[in-house]
Amino acid sequence: MKIRRNPRYLALKIESDKTFERKIFLNNVWRSLTKLYGEYGASKAGMALVEYEPEKGFAVLRCENEALTMVRAALATLTSIGEKRVAVHVLAISGTLRALRKKLSRGAEGLSESGGF
Amino acid sequence: MRRKFADLNLKPSVRDFGSAEALFEKACELGYSLVAASFPPDVNRERVAEFKRLCSGLGMDFAARVDLAPNSRRDLLRQLGRLRRRFEIVGVVCVSKAVARQAAKDRRVDLLVFPEFDPRKRFFDPQEAELASNALASLEVCMSSLLLAEGARRARLLSFLRREVAVASKFCVPVVVSSGASEPWLLRKPRELAVLATLFDMDFSEALNAVSAVPLAIVRRNREKLSSRFVAPGIRLVRRGKDC
Repeated sequence: MKIRRNPRYLALKIESDKTFERKIFLNNVWRSLTKLYGEYGASKAGMALVEYEPEKGFAVLRCENEALTMVRAALATLTSIGEKRVAVHVLAISGTLRALRKKLSRGAEGLSESGGF
Repeated sequence: MRRKFADLNLKPSVRDFGSAEALFEKACELGYSLVAASFPPDVNRERVAEFKRLCSGLGMDFAARVDLAPNSRRDLLRQLGRLRRRFEIVGVVCVSKAVARQAAKDRRVDLLVFPEFDPRKRFFDPQEAELASNALASLEVCMSSLLLAEGARRARLLSFLRREVAVASKFCVPVVVSSGASEPWLLRKPRELAVLATLFDMDFSEALNAVSAVPLAIVRRNREKLSSRFVAPGIRLVRRGKDC
């Protein structure tokens, strides 16, 4: 087992008519992950919500680098929270929060592809 | 050079221009440089031109697509003869084995589409793939059905797709990954579609090609064929005049 952690930070854009509480959003991401990969797979993700701004529809999620594809797939398959339609798009991915912020300020704030992730 | 992405299967409402506009705007925002909308075979040409203008205003390329759902082989041939030159992309929904086999070997067909959840109607087997590899047809995987399915239904769909993609890869049949979105919330970024394709064991770089190089090549090839200068594959009219 690896002792050293290798995290990835994902900046997310949450699109929905409604805003959700932090806990509800995170629970739904976990649910999506366990639906796709089961509890064993989800246990490898090491997922945590670092930042969450429901009014802006912005969040920063941390996960293990090894589970990055799994987490991205789980986010892509998230289509509803409760009765509300939702789409979560990844704006940027980085290994540190500082680099993530730098990427976002460089113009990845829109939804279009900024390449490299 | 930055990679260009294409979504060959948007399903906007032909009647509701506002919702179609919202769908195209979202696709543009998500980073697609080419989108194709599926029209009914009897669509008004003016409507297609309107969509084209709309996408052009957004800075996106637009291709018109038709999805044929013939009942028989003969019906498919008749529809292809009538519609091929009117649309840049032709997809065939294979509802029977005879239709699937004909569609796979017909060089006028671009995309083979299989109804999602009925295992008896998924005819993409090695024989079908071999026919498709000798023609020009690609296998289309529509992600909206994957997004909307849950539980055992999604597991079954992933299992079908895994087998079909493996067969396509073995016989060098190109795979196209598209959204199949009729509403903006069903659209995903191209790289997200590629990540979703890894769920059925597609390699990530291969999946990226399925949302970029493969669909772009299909549209390029068909535009060349539909141009008035096209004579035959590899032969095109360069100049007209008395001295030629």
